[in-house]
Amino acid sequence: MGGKVSAVLRLAVAGVFLVAGVLKIWDFTHGRSATPDFTIAIQQYRLLPWPDLAVALAVYLPWLEVTAALALFARRLALGAATALLGMSAMFVVAIGSAWWRGLVIDCGCFGKGRAPTDLRLHLLYGAALLIAVAALSLHEWRRARRG
Amino acid sequence: MIARTLRQLAFVLALALVPALVSGAWQLAWKKEEPLAPGEVRLAMAREWGDKVQWVDARARAKYERTHLPGALLLNEDEWDTLVKPFIDEWDPDKTLVVYCDGGTCDASHAVAARIRKELSIRDVFVLKGGFAEWEGK
Repeated sequence: MGGKVSAVLRLAVAGVFLVAGVLKIWDFTHGRSATPDFTIAIQQYRLLPWPDLAVALAVYLPWLEVTAALALFARRLALGAATALLGMSAMFVVAIGSAWWRGLVIDCGCFGKGRAPTDLRLHLLYGAALLIAVAALSLHEWRRARRG
Repeated sequence: MIARTLRQLAFVLALALVPALVSGAWQLAWKKEEPLAPGEVRLAMAREWGDKVQWVDARARAKYERTHLPGALLLNEDEWDTLVKPFIDEWDPDKTLVVYCDGGTCDASHAVAARIRKELSIRDVFVLKGGFAEWEGK
């Protein structure tokens, strides 16, 4: 992958995750509730056996999005950051796909609150496109690390 | 290579944990409102769901007949066996159930929500934080 292409890809991927993470953190820190509304969005997927896990994920995932997005620009952490983002992207696609398959009428929660239900098929397409972009970036980082 | 990847991954995961723990602790310590228990939802959020909400009244029948939330279905523990069939007949799987009772220290809504999840295998169920009192106050 050329230098310019990888740079654009890095900026795009980091941008998406940075915005998603910051919006969720903003909701959490400026809302009246001590429990993030992102928790509601996660719970609506009906995938977790314990409600407390939804709260923990709702607090942790946005910070992981922001941290990994920023770490993409640190040479010594870029490979680990891309791997983390790859894992999160895959998880989001599986969750959204699962919800769509089960016919759930929910908001994807991709950018925070579980607001009015959204078209999950569209979010599945976006998620798949993001997953491909992150996978390409991860591969680039892997090859770069191998070259030393 | 794999070891290096895993080391970097572990570092990024750990790095993200620090602000998450700090913000989580700060939220719990400084927020004026009582944190939500698992499975609870605030009135403001439930209102945003609009007509995707099905209210479930867990109070006694007399209170329900006096007044209740718009479109609420009565389902309380005292009359569970009698009320559960009509409830299921009215239940719309596309809607999110939000159970309420009087509010404050009332536990009836949590008990009914738990029974709905366990006995009816309906998982999309929440309890209204503050109950009916919260509705009347807003």
